[in-house]
Parts: sequence; C-alpha cells; structure tokens
Amino acid sequence: MKRTNVISVFLAACLILLVLGTGCTQQQAPSAQSGEVKIGVVASMTGAASTTGKDIWQSAELAADEINAMGGVRIDSLGKSVPIRLIQGDDESTREGGMKAVSKLITQDNVDLLVGGYSSAVVSAHQSIVAENKVPYIISGGSSSSVSHRNDLDTSYMFFHRPNTDDSGEASILFIDEVVRPAVNAKFGFPAERPLKVAVIYQDSPFGKGQLDAVKNVIKAKSLPIEVVAEEPFKMGESDFRTVLTSVKAKNPDMIYSVTFLNELVPLTQQARRDVNFNTLIMAIENNDDPDYYKGVGTYGDGMVMESRFSPYAVPKGSTEVATRQFLSNFDKKYGGFAGMMGAATYESIYIAKEAIEKAGSLEKAKVRDSLANLAMPQMMEIMKGGTIQFSPDFRESKFDLYVVQLSMDQASGEPRPEIVWPKNLEARGFVLPDWYTPGTS
Amino acid sequence: MNFSLLRNPNTLLAATVVLIAFLIPLFIGSNLYYLTVLVLMLIFIIYASAWNFLTFSGQGSLGHAAFFGLGAYSASLIAVRMGLPSLVTLLFGGIFAAVIGVLIGLTCVRLREWFLAMVTFGFAVIIQTLVVSQLAPVTGGWDGFPVPKLVPSGIQGSLMIEYYLILIITIATILLFRWLLKSRIGLALAAIRENEIEARAAGINPVPFKLFAFGISAFFAGIAGSLEISHFGYVTPEIFGIDLSFWPIIYSITGGLGTLAGPVIGTIVVTLLWDGLNAAGLTYARFIIIGVLLVLIIIFLPKGLVSLPAEITKRLRRKDA
Amino acid sequence: MDVSISILSQVAFWGLYSGCIYILLATGLNLIFGVMKIVNFAHGEFLMLGTYITFFLFVITGFNPYVLLIGSIPILIGIGVIVERLCFRPILGTGKLNEIFISLGLIYIFQNLVAMVWTDEWRSIKSPFADMTIDLGPLQLPLDYLIIIVVTIVILVSLYIFLQKTPIGKAIRATSQNRKGAMLMGIDVEKINMLTFGIGAGLAGAAGTLWAVSGQVFNPYMGSIPAIKGFAIIILGGLGSIPGAIVGGLAIGMVENFTAFTLGGSWKDAVSFILLIVVLVLRPTGLFGEEEE
Repeated sequence: MKRTNVISVFLAACLILLVLGTGCTQQQAPSAQSGEVKIGVVASMTGAASTTGKDIWQSAELAADEINAMGGVRIDSLGKSVPIRLIQGDDESTREGGMKAVSKLITQDNVDLLVGGYSSAVVSAHQSIVAENKVPYIISGGSSSSVSHRNDLDTSYMFFHRPNTDDSGEASILFIDEVVRPAVNAKFGFPAERPLKVAVIYQDSPFGKGQLDAVKNVIKAKSLPIEVVAEEPFKMGESDFRTVLTSVKAKNPDMIYSVTFLNELVPLTQQARRDVNFNTLIMAIENNDDPDYYKGVGTYGDGMVMESRFSPYAVPKGSTEVATRQFLSNFDKKYGGFAGMMGAATYESIYIAKEAIEKAGSLEKAKVRDSLANLAMPQMMEIMKGGTIQFSPDFRESKFDLYVVQLSMDQASGEPRPEIVWPKNLEARGFVLPDWYTPGTS
Repeated sequence: MNFSLLRNPNTLLAATVVLIAFLIPLFIGSNLYYLTVLVLMLIFIIYASAWNFLTFSGQGSLGHAAFFGLGAYSASLIAVRMGLPSLVTLLFGGIFAAVIGVLIGLTCVRLREWFLAMVTFGFAVIIQTLVVSQLAPVTGGWDGFPVPKLVPSGIQGSLMIEYYLILIITIATILLFRWLLKSRIGLALAAIRENEIEARAAGINPVPFKLFAFGISAFFAGIAGSLEISHFGYVTPEIFGIDLSFWPIIYSITGGLGTLAGPVIGTIVVTLLWDGLNAAGLTYARFIIIGVLLVLIIIFLPKGLVSLPAEITKRLRRKDA
Repeated sequence: MDVSISILSQVAFWGLYSGCIYILLATGLNLIFGVMKIVNFAHGEFLMLGTYITFFLFVITGFNPYVLLIGSIPILIGIGVIVERLCFRPILGTGKLNEIFISLGLIYIFQNLVAMVWTDEWRSIKSPFADMTIDLGPLQLPLDYLIIIVVTIVILVSLYIFLQKTPIGKAIRATSQNRKGAMLMGIDVEKINMLTFGIGAGLAGAAGTLWAVSGQVFNPYMGSIPAIKGFAIIILGGLGSIPGAIVGGLAIGMVENFTAFTLGGSWKDAVSFILLIVVLVLRPTGLFGEEEE
C-alpha cells in the first residue's frame, strides 16, 4: 500500500501542476482590446544556452520597465499610451522547444511582436511558423548568415539586430591586416610585405564554422596578405586545448584567431600561455567581452585582443557612453551583476519595437513590419554604422560599427581590463605587441 | 463488421483514443499552438514506438537519434536534390535508416546488452561528427539546409492537413507493430527475449530476428525523423543530439516497456506534463519532476502507466481481503 | 610539418593527465559493476557534484583545494550510499538495462538540483600552484598536473591495499567473484553493495576535485561526457576488470589526444567510440573481459 501512496501522491501533484499549466495557456485577447503591447521574448531559460537566456530575459524586462515608467508606448490609433507586457517563451535551447514556445506566443498569448532568439539551429526551426503567421520578429541572435539569408521562405517579417558572422569576421580581419601585421613586421624587422600567419581555432558548431568561413572569405575577397596556416576545430564545451594548441604551435603561426564561448576561451588562453608555452597573440570575438571572462582568465589574458560591440569595461566615448553606463548601472541595481552583449542587444530590441510601433501608429502587424523596415532611429548603446539603427533592405540586418579591445593587467583588481585600440575614431590608446610575444618562424 | 472486437476493453479504449484524435481539431480549430504540440506528440509517438519495438527482441538502444537523424537527412537530401515531395521521400528516409540499422545490428547481435547500449550511443556521436565534418559538402555541415514542408504552407489549413496525415501514419505504424507482434515473427521475438538459449533449442535462430527488429525499429525512427524535419522546414545536425536519443526511452518507460500502448500513453502524459509545467513557469524543476517520475515509475511501477489500473485494483482487493 | 620528439612526448603527457580523470571514473564504475553487475550511467553526476563540493568548500574555507579531497571523497561516499539504497537496491535483478534507465532520471535530478542551487553558469577555481611549472628536459610541465598524476596513483594504490588487506576489502572482492558464495560465507551482500557504490562515487568525487583544481571550468552538465567515456573505457578494458579500467583509461586518453593532434578536435569524442566498436567487433567481451558464464 505504501508504494501506491507514494506514486499516487506524486501523480496527483503532477496533475495539479498540469491543470495549473493549461490554465495559464488560455487564449488571450489581442492587444487592441486589452490596452497593452504584448511582446513575446524568445529566450533559452533552460538547457545549454540558459545563461545567455537569463541575460536576454532580464534585459528585456529592464527595458520594458523603463518604457512603462515613462508612460508606455504611444499608439495613435488608440489615441493613448499603453504599457508593454513581456511574455516569456522558453525555447529550452532545443528546436522542438523553440517551435512550441513561439507557436504558443503567437496563438495563445497573441503577441504583437517577437523579440529574442539565440541559437541559430533553434531559430532556423521556428522561422517557418513566424513566416506563415506574419508576426514581426526582432531577432537578436541567430548570428549565422544562413539563418538571415534564407530564401526558401518569406523572411520579410524577421529583423536581425546583430552583426552576422560575415560582419564580425570582416572587422577582425581588417584589424589584423591594418594593425597587427604591420606591428609584427616592424618590431621584428620583417619585410613590410611579409604575410601574417594566422591559426584559427574554432568551436565545431554553426557559430564557429560560420566565423571560420567568414574569415577565409574576407581574406580571399580582399586578397589580403594574411595566410590561414591552421584550422583546428574543437568540440563545444571543450576544456582541454593542450593538444590542439601543441599541434597549432607546430605550424608556426604569428597569432591565433579563436572562435569560442567564454567557458572555452578561459582554458584555451591559460593553457596556451602556461601549459604549451605558446607566447603568441590571441584574438577572440565579441561574445567573450564579459566580466566573467576577465575574472576567469586572470593574468594570462594580458595583451590579448578581442573584437567587440558591447564592452562592459571599455565603454566607447561619445553619444553611446551615457546610455551604456546607465544601462549597466540599472541592470546591476535590479539584478546584481553585469549585463552581457546579448542582453544589450535585446534591451535595444525592445526600444526598437517601441519606436516602430509608435511610428506605425498602430499595432497592426503589417504596419509594424513596414515601420520596422523603414526604421531609422538613433543608436543607443552599441555603435551603429552611420549612428542610426536601421535594417538593410536585402535581408533586414542592422549594421554595427565593430571595434577591437586589447587587454592589459589592472593591478587593483588583479584582472585584465580592456581598452579600445581600433578603429581610430574610437580608440583609447594604440595597439601594442606584448613584450613576451614571439612571432612564428618563417 | 465484427462488433465483438469492441467488447474487448483495450480495443474499445484504443478506438476511443483514435476517435478523440480525429475529433480534436473540431474543438481546437486551427489553433497553431495546440496543433504544433499535437503534431510533435504524434511524431514522438511514432519514434517512441519504434524504439520500444527494439525491446520486444530483448535489445535496447541509447542512440536512436542516429536513425531519427539519418532518416531526416536522407529524406531531406532526396527531397531537395530531386525535387520530390516530402511525403514520398520520407519512405526513402525510413529505408536508408533501416539499412544502416541492420548494419549496426550486425555488429551488435553478439553483444551483451550494456555493450549494445554503448555501441548505439557511440554510433550517434560518430554519425553527427561525420555529418558536420567529412560529409559537410553534402549535408551543409553545421549550417544545415532548408527542407520542403510536408504540406506546402501556402495551402489553406496546411497545419491541419499535416496533423491528419501524420495521425494516419501514426495509426498505420501502430497497427503494423500490432500485426507484427501477433504474427509468428512476434512469437519468435518473444521467445528470444525471454530466453535466448531456449529459443535456440527450439530451433529459432535469433540472429535474423534480432536484425529484423533492428531494421524495423530504425525504419520507423527514420520516418519519425523525416516527419519532424519536414514539419520544421529546416534540418541541422542538432537532430543527432543526446536528448533526442533519451526522450523515446523516457516516454516508453513511463508508459510501459514492451507494450504497444506504453509509448503512446507515455508520450502523451510526459509531453502534456512537460508543456503544462513549462506554461506554469517551472524551469529546472521541470527536469527534476520528470527525473523523479522516471525513477519512481521504474521502482514502483516497472510495467509503466499502462499497468496502473490493474495495479490499483490488485492492491485495493488485497486491502479488502 | 615536423613532428619532434618533444611535441610527441608533450601530447603523450596531456594524454596521461586526462587519462587520470578517466581512470578514477572507470575504476569506480568497474568496482560497482564487479559487485552489483550494474552500470551506473549517472556516474558523471558524481564527478560534477565533486567539482561543486570542492568549489563550495573552497569558497567558504579558502583551504588549498588539494586538501579538500578529504571533504569531497567522504561526502560523495555518503551520497553514493544513499543513492544505492534508494534507487538501485530496489531494481537489482529486475529487467535488463533498468539501471541505465533509472540513471537517466538521476541525471536530470542531479543536474538540475545543482543548477537550482549554484545556477548553471560556468565556474572555476584557482589552484595556488597554477603559475608554477617544472622543467623536465624537453618538457615543461605545470606543477598541478604532476601533483594530479601523483594523487591519482596514491588513490589507486590505497584502493588496492584496501581491497587486498582489509576484511571489508576482501569481502568486496569475494562478492565480486562469487555473489552466492559470498552470501553463503555470511557476507551481508546488501551492505557490500552500498559500500562499493559509495566507494565508486567517492572515486568520482576525487576526480571532481582534481578536475576543479586543474583550473578546468565546470557547470552542472559537465559530467555526462566524461562518464560516458568512462563507460566506454570499462567496456573496452573488460567489465569488472580493474587493470582493464586503467589500461583502457590510458588508452582512451592517449588515442583522443593523438586524434585531436592528427584528425582535428572534432573527432575527439567520436574516436573513442570508433575504437570501442572496433574492439567489440574483434573481441565481444572487451580487451580483458572474461567469457560470459
């Protein structure tokens, strides 16, 4: 009898939760009647990408709270301002989960607009229902160009507020060509035309592969004197890079271009300098510009460079500075801790949504879409091309002015801190090759 | 028509479930969310039933995502390259998965169950690695590629049509499993599962039967995979993920291993529970509840939820006595 | 590409070092299999718990993380004993592979409990010796890794002495060799099961501490892959064979690293399974496994 008790109590508990759950999925009235703007936030609250998912959700909440505190979103067709209500859609970091979450947001919650989306694989699986249901979707992730450049379905309702893999690859390579190559050649007395040898270590995933392809394409398209001497993939979540580094070192590169997640870059950097004794320049990309990285890497991060668009410590001077500092301090006040790059992009996406709805003067989806397509709003925190956020006519991607930071040790905190070293109009100081740096032998 | 069949409570129950499945769209209309949940549920019923069929032969697999994904990839590739409709190519997907399944089965028939579990698990890892590296020129690597939908989305009510199509495929699959299990093949499989040595003594060579079970199981896993991908409209290597190998196991165990109804009931209960908990805003707790449910069922209800009514009446009677 | 001896020996050393974690996991799995004839698929969660317990103790005490082995091992032994009693004892002798299925449930429970307590952000701790290296001719080796190799050897030797010399150890070996016989000799096999499972978990906990000390990052989901490899190792080496676990662990560590060196890092996981399948096709009982019944 005891056994049946245990299981029946458990099943009863499950059933109650089930009823509670289905109760929450009652269909909701469209916004025009409920007097609010409903925005669905597609975020990975569980599963592999949940750390980023939380960042996305919290930043969206912060933006919505700010907008509501200022009176909400003005909608001409209603003749009044209405508050924003955010609805969370957990994609579980899986394709199936994303499909369910997005379809629930569209039909059950009747959202006016979708924001978020992170993993390219997850986004690619639910793009079709967004296309069919014609809901405007401001995607702050899905960085792979193959997601935004799809032509098998109608992507006209999807707007990508992020640099695609080609954009960030291009910025990095231009920096390497304009700054690193001359610096190496000058310091070691090499002929000025000597090509720079780069080894790419990349995560074996859509993200890593996309960056690798972008780098190679840019070098080829611009016929730059940069030679990719090694392409080494590693498994997502890898923590042991010693062998990969040993093998890369044997190929004598002048620097490493690494496409990693933060949890991979920490061991990669440490193991390169400490275990493999590989005194080379490491360049990483934007998603690693995060306080957790600086804390984790410690002294081994000294001298390395990073392509970035939102830097918690190296805020570019100019119009975006105030907004960024405010965002960081408000985020810290509300949640404790730093917001990341994905959070910043989502925060901006909520403001983009507000702007587009106000310009459209209505919550009608087709009108909001047109308004997004014609949007030209001043940049907020991330620096945009031409200082305005606007979506390109071809694939509706916003264009960022990306920059590069270099890390140097900060004695007070015992951690490295970034400073912008490229491009010229944003730089805080010039790039310097570290003293310990040794180039690849030719 | 033979009405005496309906007197069997199980058949009656099954008929009711099928009837409800056919009528549900009348109540929910063309609601995108409910239809999406139902379509995915049906696909996973096929997948879990396919996995469960393997256990009828006393074998098990921890890497069925390999066949799920192989079916999806081969069907999609044929659909894209030859311009055939997805409804046709899913058969090719199943056949390709079955051929590979038999090949894997060949290396596995001699192995003990733990070894088999490990080999199948490893096979899924190897296939995924191949798809993203050496086979990338064909498969598109990590980027994957777009796939035609099962029912072109331009058609009015495409999702509803899709639901009915998949429902019919699901019913056909389960009827076929039922027929197979009642046939001499099913009896032979049962004999092998109960005691392989005795089955040999009775003149049954287990090898072809085990291979047959592997092939059939892989075939339907492949069908389920192609259905899922033509529902999404895009295929990526994530389809070989570990979670996709584990879900059919969780569904089958919850419902009842080695029964026809088990995977069906298990898939329905677990997905409803999962989506309900999700809607209630539970995140990590959702996984913990599913984990606890699984552990409790294995310990206290080893024959799964299908045995719950019988178990309760048994205990009530004992209490009365 | 010129592949010098120093590079090869360096790769071999990385293989040896990563083999240590695998050996500890595989030895535990094998000990448990020998006595209970079950395979614990959730073994990697003990490794993960080991890293978090080390992390937690390190944050509150600030002790040298190597010292924390005296915390992580006993705590994990305790957790192992409880898990055995609650989850594995009831299903011993029931359906085939049931223990693997129950492990799937345990994996979900442990991973998400830890995620609820510590969140699922990546964590790491810093060893006090992190910046020290030792020159050995052509090799320059971080001190931490040498300590880890030595600690692993010490743990394995103590385990060996425990199994050979103490009465409990002898009872474990007796149960492992012949369960019925052991029962007849008056050994309480259920107690031995619990204890063995605890020791297995404790070894995984030690591996967890070593994982954290070597500066590797960890999150609640980090245990699955190493555990599955541990599982592959004991099958490769032969179920129930401790020397098999050690040879298998070293073999996988080496093969992985040399594969990453030659074929590239994406084959790192797959190659262990290719090796496993090849060995099983040639020798269905594994390298050191005994013929069935």
